[in-house]
Amino acid sequence: MSDETDITTQPDGERALVAEYVLGLLDSGQHEAVRAQIEADPRLQREERLWQWHFSALDDQFGDVPAPERLQRLTEERLFGRAEARGGLAGLWHNLALWRGLAAGALAVAVLAVGLATMMPQPSSTQLATELVAALQAEGSDVQFVALYDSESGNVRLVGLSGVAGPQQDFELWAIQGENPPISMGVIEAMTRNEVRVGPDVAPEWGPGSVLAITLEPEGGSPTGDPTGPVVAQGAATPI
Amino acid sequence: MAETSAEVTRLIQRVALRDRSAFRQLYQRTSAKLFGVTLRILKDRAEAEEALQEVFVKIWQRADRFVPGGSSPISWLVAVARNHCLDILRARRPTSETIETALEIPDSSPDPEDRTMGRDERARIEACLGELASDRADAVRGAYLDGYSYEELANRHNVPINTMRTWLRRSLMRLRDCLTG
Repeated sequence: MSDETDITTQPDGERALVAEYVLGLLDSGQHEAVRAQIEADPRLQREERLWQWHFSALDDQFGDVPAPERLQRLTEERLFGRAEARGGLAGLWHNLALWRGLAAGALAVAVLAVGLATMMPQPSSTQLATELVAALQAEGSDVQFVALYDSESGNVRLVGLSGVAGPQQDFELWAIQGENPPISMGVIEAMTRNEVRVGPDVAPEWGPGSVLAITLEPEGGSPTGDPTGPVVAQGAATPI
Repeated sequence: MAETSAEVTRLIQRVALRDRSAFRQLYQRTSAKLFGVTLRILKDRAEAEEALQEVFVKIWQRADRFVPGGSSPISWLVAVARNHCLDILRARRPTSETIETALEIPDSSPDPEDRTMGRDERARIEACLGELASDRADAVRGAYLDGYSYEELANRHNVPINTMRTWLRRSLMRLRDCLTG
């Protein structure tokens, strides 16, 4: 190989090595050798930062390409999926990737998942006394949530399976009971877990058949206290 | 732009604290940019998708190494993605013997850490690349943005590989003088 000769005979050849390293032009043997030297020498680290910093001015020239949606779930599964799946029901609840994977036929699958989960050995005291489950979805909308009501805590736990609110918009959760006007249960976050208290205004009528609905509202929630935007998902609470 | 940058910085810092919802937001904010990087360098959709997942795993693992105030947070993320792709490509290329030469560096490399990347810096690298012959400037861009090896650059520019090496090393030194001058 003539590499070594080149480096020493070219003027500035050695000085260019750090730039070549940053650009990724060196083969693996050279790359490792230069990396080791940089690691050991603060002056070389400064030279590396200098090049990295100047070249990063070109970063704008990488265009945006939307990644396929499933990649986010797959990435989270890699990072959090397996560890959480072993954590009993609490772990199951926290396993967003699992919930998201269940998005199709959400209600049936949610019931099944909770049923299976309660049969698993429970080492912790965080067992859910889940009594009601609801799948929230709507025609023509990609917004899907699964809701579980835990009578012990008096909270509704909601998992956003798909759908995000636009900029300057929020999802707001409502309880609709019989002919009564919807009661706001507050703004909820998309694509994550929410824990929502069933407040005293909702609790008296709360039970099987109560409808949970999600509307798209201005950022921070409805300005009037009543729903002002379209219903993007809804579902009735069902006993399990 | 500055607002976006501050927000992404905050998200990275929260990710360093193992905040999963911040990780999700960071992914949603930056995955298109980073997919643009992996796709451009790897030039294969399936590989770019696989690499994007690995890149975000690295971001989760290394978020605590991000130092705000130096490079922009987007540049930091791009560097993680770019370096990951280059590692993949490098592993496929032949390697030479390890070089023995110790690196010699001018005594004072100006430290860029106290300046933030702005329009001036972008204009500056373009101006300095503009001082090189256009095919050499293209070679530098091709190495940074497309991850081309010396061999690929030599083929693209239709010159022997050693000529390309010589061109590029000289160009890099001229570029350095211009950038730091």
